[in-house]
Amino acid sequence: MLFNSIEYLIFLPIVFVIYWLLKSSYKNQNIILLISSYVFYGWWDYRFLSLIIFSSFLDYFVGLKLNAAEGRDRKKRWLLVSLCSNLGLLGVFKYYNFFADSFASTMSAVGWEVNDLTLNIILPVGISFYTFQTLSYSIDIYRGQIKATKDMVGFFTYVSLFPQLVAGPIERASNLIPQIENKRTLNVTLIKTGIFQIFIGLFRKVAIADNLGIYVDSVYTNQDIHNGSTLLVATVFYAFQIYFDFSGYSDIAIGSAKLFGFNFNRNFNFPYFSRTLTEFWRRWHMSLSFWLKDYLYISLGGNRKGIVLTYRNLLLTMLLGGLWHGSSWNFVIWGGIHGLFLSLEKYTFSALKIKTFNSFGYIYTFIVVLISWVFFRAPDLPTASSICGKIFRLDFGPLFIGDLNAFVNATLLLSMGILIDLKIFRSNSSLEDYGDRFSSVKLSIIVSVIILALCLFYSTAENFIYFQF
Amino acid sequence: MDSKTLKKFIKIIILTLAISYSVDKLIFFSLNKISDKVMTGQAVGKLNQFLSVKDTSDFLVFGNSRANHHIDVGMFSESSYNIGVDGTGIAYSSTLINTLQKEKKQLILVHVDTKNFIDSTYNSQDIRSLKTKFKRNNSITEALNKSGQLSALQHFYYSMNYNGTAIGIIKNFFKPSYDYKSYNGYDPLEVSDSQESIRDIVLSKFISKTCLNNYNLNQVALKHLKSIKSFVEDSPNKTFIFITSPSYNDACTEDNEKLAAIMKDFNLTYWDFTNLYKNNKNNSFWKDPTHMSQKGAEAFSKLLQEKFKSTLN
Repeated sequence: MLFNSIEYLIFLPIVFVIYWLLKSSYKNQNIILLISSYVFYGWWDYRFLSLIIFSSFLDYFVGLKLNAAEGRDRKKRWLLVSLCSNLGLLGVFKYYNFFADSFASTMSAVGWEVNDLTLNIILPVGISFYTFQTLSYSIDIYRGQIKATKDMVGFFTYVSLFPQLVAGPIERASNLIPQIENKRTLNVTLIKTGIFQIFIGLFRKVAIADNLGIYVDSVYTNQDIHNGSTLLVATVFYAFQIYFDFSGYSDIAIGSAKLFGFNFNRNFNFPYFSRTLTEFWRRWHMSLSFWLKDYLYISLGGNRKGIVLTYRNLLLTMLLGGLWHGSSWNFVIWGGIHGLFLSLEKYTFSALKIKTFNSFGYIYTFIVVLISWVFFRAPDLPTASSICGKIFRLDFGPLFIGDLNAFVNATLLLSMGILIDLKIFRSNSSLEDYGDRFSSVKLSIIVSVIILALCLFYSTAENFIYFQF
Repeated sequence: MDSKTLKKFIKIIILTLAISYSVDKLIFFSLNKISDKVMTGQAVGKLNQFLSVKDTSDFLVFGNSRANHHIDVGMFSESSYNIGVDGTGIAYSSTLINTLQKEKKQLILVHVDTKNFIDSTYNSQDIRSLKTKFKRNNSITEALNKSGQLSALQHFYYSMNYNGTAIGIIKNFFKPSYDYKSYNGYDPLEVSDSQESIRDIVLSKFISKTCLNNYNLNQVALKHLKSIKSFVEDSPNKTFIFITSPSYNDACTEDNEKLAAIMKDFNLTYWDFTNLYKNNKNNSFWKDPTHMSQKGAEAFSKLLQEKFKSTLN
């Protein structure tokens, strides 16, 4: 079920009413949440519910065993069970074809023809997100940071809670499980901030991102006939499309969760207002970047083992972070670009003994991010190289406009999106809290304006970009 | 949730619904007023102009962008109009044909492409381009309601009828794109010097769609064709010709044969020109593999005109 569908518009109030009618028992509320989460996921493909149930059961069981196990070795063994099973599932469903194909290409390059090894595998929606969530649960117990829960329904709800099930935010057990295992309350602040964030999220996704996507798709699908200026504008549009698409999704997720009394962590914090790439990664897809930092970068040694290993760890973390997004060399290169520039930044800061860049840092950061987006969006490496080539050769000429109406709408909505972001950013507040500053009447007027903007400018994209990951 | 929170929540919901509903109507009726005066632009102006001239013209052309760019109606009659619009299909054409006065003597040319008839995903979504006339034109409203292409929310928020078009309408209201009185709906595609080399690359790389052994007919498209057929039978004063205009290189003939067979079954006159210029290797006739340039369109219109003369006289 998509957040921007009529189905969700009906689903959310029904679950909301039933949920709060059962407010006397949080355990009954959890049962409702679990059932509705499975309905939400099964709407897409009920067969893959078995994977979520398997993954939930496995980590619930491993969690209990980790708690009970005595000695480092025993704990390590149970952790390995969780790691191998979760990453194994992810490997089969997400990466098998990629590695099989890469293996066949490598063999072919050395003159050994290998039969086609790829399989017809469907990528289950959300598998990368809930796998990371269950993994963090087991690792946190292993590290002694949390205790395993005995509440099976509660744990299954933690894994599958519908607002964050298919595209995050990747919630840590330490934040979410205590909320699930305790009575939730709904206050006026949660209602106001939740409603505001849901509608801002819808506007970001349905109006801004989807309208930008029309132009981006039309250029990127025929990149060979377009000049550098058109490709540059399309890439800038894509930078904002993916931001508003994914942050919009996160806003709807966080806002929806608030209506059920849950507080999720922030996932985006105005990432394009960053003066360094390091800062960008503290603001972009925060639940993933903090996950990678805590469970990968630090596990590899972080910055504790000398300068060379620090750079290696950064690069490796970003390469794997890139691969997390999808089974393609484009994503690896995307991660590689980020890893390389993060390392260069670290070196520059230590050499110049500075902590950040001046205002030019905003431009530098945006340019690096922009170049990396070419690899993220292009269907393959030759296409990405060709696009970068045209942009860097300054192969500029008349700008392709395509559908004038769509182009004007996209530009106008993008400007509105940036202005809204700028307004909230400069208020030293967060989008998560912003709705609380309005009275009920003012909030209703703002939401009404957003609804009418959606009526006039909605675009009908099939999916959210991050669903494919 | 305590009673105070519940009251606040209900207040916000009711206020939001009331304000958004009222302002929606205000926007809708304002846009209606403005859009009725707009006669330029592809989104609404062209449709408005068509509705104003449809029953006084001798010659009308219906279809998609290929109809729009390929048929120079001015060569056929001074009293003519080409209502070919980008991205539309058989549902759009069928709905507009059903708005015509049945008694009026007219020559009607309907441009059809095989794609609509063999594409399993076609669901008459092109009819959404007519939603600015929802609840304002009975025939179009009926077709939109039957199509299932309207959002359920559209019955509450009327301004959704102007989705994606509002800015274009306002712009054309204040600054019309062209002089509509001298516009007959035909939009030739010019190929500039700088575009020629790109066009040649695109044509040289063009690979025709994969041919299938068996094409399943799309029932939605067929339903709309049946609707046109009923209209044809009820309008003895009108002459209907169905055509498919040339494509640069269409390797598959099975789909064309299938469409020709349907037209024959329906007793409709159908001329298939898909491969007319396939072997002439003249790139100057083309803007891209789907659309002819002005030069190609004029050559094709001339040929069509001669065929009309020889067939209809």
